[in-house]
Amino acid sequence: MTSTALELPSDPADGLAAVVALRRLADRVEDAEVERALSEGWSWSQVAEALGVTRQAVHKKHAKRLADGSPHKRRP
Amino acid sequence: MFERFAKDVRRSVERAVDEAQALDSATVEAEHLLLALAADEPSPVVRLLADSGLDHAGLQAALERETERSLAAVGVVVGDFVLSERSSPPRHRPRFAASAKRALERTLGEALAQSDRSITSQHLLVGILRADNGTVPRALAAVEVDRIALLVGAERLLG
Repeated sequence: MTSTALELPSDPADGLAAVVALRRLADRVEDAEVERALSEGWSWSQVAEALGVTRQAVHKKHAKRLADGSPHKRRP
Repeated sequence: MFERFAKDVRRSVERAVDEAQALDSATVEAEHLLLALAADEPSPVVRLLADSGLDHAGLQAALERETERSLAAVGVVVGDFVLSERSSPPRHRPRFAASAKRALERTLGEALAQSDRSITSQHLLVGILRADNGTVPRALAAVEVDRIALLVGAERLLG
């Protein structure tokens, strides 16, 4: 493989599982980073712009959870 | 139909939601049902799982291993922190996603096939282990647990 090509797994089962794992990872990183940005004073608009989504989209996805929980380490 | 679910299996289905939330998952998946089963009060199902190293902690380790492997397959390496630590409050109560729904459908199918009147955690285990693809079979393979042998053991519990 060249340095620029993504080498795909030889078995589609591995590739598909990677998709699942990447989606979950992206969700977690998004949750954590949105919270961090807001706590550091970013506006919803700035967060939305950085994520490449609308302000409404990011607000809908995160506003409730961040308002509900005391931030950090809420475990069920 | 839900009233035919025995108490133990209801408890597991409810606990699966907590398991999903504890792992920061927006959805309840088949692996959360299995985690819930593994964490249940002592029973033949719990013993069968534990005999294969799949107590709650063992299963959790298997799932983490599977995630690491799957990410590594596309060149992504993440630290333990990202995999195991909750950093943020959950988005909302996780909803049941396709893998969990299919496991529950198979659970029901299993009870119907056996003409069993009540749906128990044995049926649930069989329903979960019947999946040939997805996170659960991959996690078992990641820690070298023979899923088919486990399935046979679970079917034996049904008598």
